[in-house]
Amino acid sequence: MNAKKMTTPIEKAVAAANAKPIEGAAKVRLEQNVPFGLAGTIHVLYLDNGLRILLLADRTAPVVAFSTWFRVGSRHEKLGKTGLAHLFEHLMFNETENLKAGELDRKLEEAGAETNAATWLDWTYYYEAVPRDRIGLVIDLEADRMARLVLREPQVKSEKEVVANERRYRVDDDVEGFANELLYKTAFTKHTYGWPTIGWMEDIQNFTPADCETFYRTYYAPNNAALVIVGDFREAQLLERIRRAYGALPRADIPPEDTWPEPAQLEERLVTLQKPTASEKVIVGYHGPALGDPDHAPLAVLSEILFGGRASRLYRALFIDRELASDIRGWPSTFRDPGLYEVYLTARAGKTKDELLAVLDAEIERLRDDPPSADELERAKARLELGGLQALDTASGKAEQIGFYDTVLGDPAGAFRRLEAYRRVDAGDVRRVARRFLARPSRTIVHVVPQPEQAP
Amino acid sequence: MKPSETKVRELEGGARLLLEPSTTLPIVSIVVALRSGSSHDPEGLEGLARITARMLRRGCEGMDALAIEAAIDRLGGEIGANVASSSSAVSGQVLSRNLEPFVELLAKIIGAPTFDEQELGRLLRETQAELLESLDNDRGLAERFFRRKLFAGHGYGRAGQGTAATIAAIDRARVVAQHKKHFVKGNIVIAMSGDVTPEVAQATANKLVAQLPDGPALPDVLTEPQAFSGRHLVFVDKPERTQTQILIGSLGTSPHDDDHAALTVGNAIFGGTFTSRLTREVRGKRGWSYGASSRLGVDRHRHSFAMWTFPAATDAAACIALELSLLEKLVDKGVTDKEVRFIQRFLTRSWAFEVDTAQKRVHQALDVELLGLPADYYSRYLERIGAVTAESASAALRARLQPPNLLVAVVGTASELGEGVRGAIPNLVDSEIVPYDAEARA
Repeated sequence: MNAKKMTTPIEKAVAAANAKPIEGAAKVRLEQNVPFGLAGTIHVLYLDNGLRILLLADRTAPVVAFSTWFRVGSRHEKLGKTGLAHLFEHLMFNETENLKAGELDRKLEEAGAETNAATWLDWTYYYEAVPRDRIGLVIDLEADRMARLVLREPQVKSEKEVVANERRYRVDDDVEGFANELLYKTAFTKHTYGWPTIGWMEDIQNFTPADCETFYRTYYAPNNAALVIVGDFREAQLLERIRRAYGALPRADIPPEDTWPEPAQLEERLVTLQKPTASEKVIVGYHGPALGDPDHAPLAVLSEILFGGRASRLYRALFIDRELASDIRGWPSTFRDPGLYEVYLTARAGKTKDELLAVLDAEIERLRDDPPSADELERAKARLELGGLQALDTASGKAEQIGFYDTVLGDPAGAFRRLEAYRRVDAGDVRRVARRFLARPSRTIVHVVPQPEQAP
Repeated sequence: MKPSETKVRELEGGARLLLEPSTTLPIVSIVVALRSGSSHDPEGLEGLARITARMLRRGCEGMDALAIEAAIDRLGGEIGANVASSSSAVSGQVLSRNLEPFVELLAKIIGAPTFDEQELGRLLRETQAELLESLDNDRGLAERFFRRKLFAGHGYGRAGQGTAATIAAIDRARVVAQHKKHFVKGNIVIAMSGDVTPEVAQATANKLVAQLPDGPALPDVLTEPQAFSGRHLVFVDKPERTQTQILIGSLGTSPHDDDHAALTVGNAIFGGTFTSRLTREVRGKRGWSYGASSRLGVDRHRHSFAMWTFPAATDAAACIALELSLLEKLVDKGVTDKEVRFIQRFLTRSWAFEVDTAQKRVHQALDVELLGLPADYYSRYLERIGAVTAESASAALRARLQPPNLLVAVVGTASELGEGVRGAIPNLVDSEIVPYDAEARA
């Protein structure tokens, strides 16, 4: 038998991309191939400067989705400087050494790109989707702003105003946004998850260009980023273009993180506030698992049993049997460190927090005492399977799932691993996680009361 | 990838099937659409079409609401109902391995609903609670009152979701009659996309309409909306607002206008992208609003043009004044060749994302059917956009947008801002202050 190893298409593409001499540019190497369910294979590659590259070919449409995930979020900020990661996301659309302010957006629009960006507790990401013949432009623009951003006072001042307005929109004038911020502030006393990603208003208004420059030089570097590229591309050309654009960018010394684990919460916390709203709202946060905790998937199944669809336990109890609520939701947060199992309950007019909580507590007690039925488990898993597949409809959807799981768990195929984990959950798992996480002493409650003149 | 590739099949009784197969994911999407919507609601019963559509899943032949919900979940499916002015839809998605039982269930839901009296009472109370809850959404409030005033006396201005008073007036007899009149074969268009073969899709669609009675498509009851003259302000008064929601606009375009594509280009230049004039001036230069954009509504008849911003309360008056001056300049001076070429490249290249999934492609074909769009509305879209010139775009802006005749809708705290906002609108012919909860309380 001939022992000669066959060269795979991706290995050929890597060799071709490295063949061309490019002055000062790092080489690309293939780290591993990861099966991505029915959707193909993710190729995991690196440049020598630490840039991680994840490729998934998807020829269902003549487009390419390109995202850059930086392993920095609001968890890396310091008190007094909250909101910096998010403000920075805004600033990344401004001037670079090669582009005037506004030129980046114009070039992307001219290419027909869909663009966006997001910042959260654990990460920041930038996203473009373009017709396949424009992907080279995106690579050049993204590499440019990773290393050559220009931070001047006028842009910083203007973006601070924009972010202050975003905060008014999402938090200060939004009842649920305000309550959610208060929930995390109250539930987390040590961990950086206690402050809002958008930042406290006072911090937003006090940022200087120097703060932004320091943040940029600390966290925006190839060895703190991953490119996720999904779509209709030619691997060799793509990798060569990436080498040219990113290959000479220097590494940065990423400082060790300075977070504290959140101490166990031993007593229920309650905060009450008045807002101009029509009815009472109750927001509850139980200290829950990190996304990588083996109990996270069973908790997601439990959440479906309680809140998923109109046959779920709490929908039946709060909407049908008692007619106490007009909106109910629950889900486990999907963070790198332990987060919260969040519950949102909106009372109908004249109904109270105590009535809502009595029903919630009774249903949780029931799950802690008795395992769910086989039919409930089957329904919860089918719903999660549909939701998991729906997220993979477009190249952008696949890129987002790959980037998210890669950044938070280090597993680019985490979305499919998750579907497999749901299938393994049994009734005992659900009861166990109810007992582990849904205990009253470990919860925080934010109670929103209508201002007297708002009550019907 | 073109919408013209969408397969069309005639079904019995005048129903129609639109199909876009795709094996990308093991999921099938189904839309059972009606050629009628909330504009057909009788006077004083606004919300009837929506209540009827939402009642379908709350009991059908042999199954109560709980049995239906459990069956949907068990199959890895989901079902939703949506009612617009000119059309309605019951939409579903399901894991393709469960398509057959899902379709049997969906056929029973639309063809043999029981409209249980107790369930109806429950839904009506739920809807009243939702109306109250919607008061928390300031953007929704701005849109609601903008529409009411801009289309006063016209179907587009009516409350499709109902008001406290009209929901209270709905009873079972009305719901049964509504279903009988609207869920007839000739009024139905089915759109399917995803992991399904043409043969299975055809059989599936036949199953879905089999239980429905024969009957014609309902005629369009809407007329052309009338433009008003002068500048009007509707101030939606809500306490403690640190921020305002502002919509400024007028009537816009009809898909049958000769200058529809030209106005689309003109609007995109003005407020359709992140680097458009409006966004650059309001957000980029001044940082006044997180979002700043303009849009043209597209429906069976002429719909709206609207600019949307949400500045801090302290910047609201200045922001309105700036928007008015930007619109005046746009109409007065028109757009340049350079701007037109730029936006043509944007619209042409970004088209790839309008047709990158089977579901999007079939929805384009569905739009053509339900909104009575020209048959080549999407298939020749790029050609029409490419033919626009600076002259034709400027002429369309002049013909369709008239800065002297505008509606300004503001959600904010009137005691703090009312005077300043009025002062920012020259030649205001009338203004009114309405309580934000005017429609939600019985």
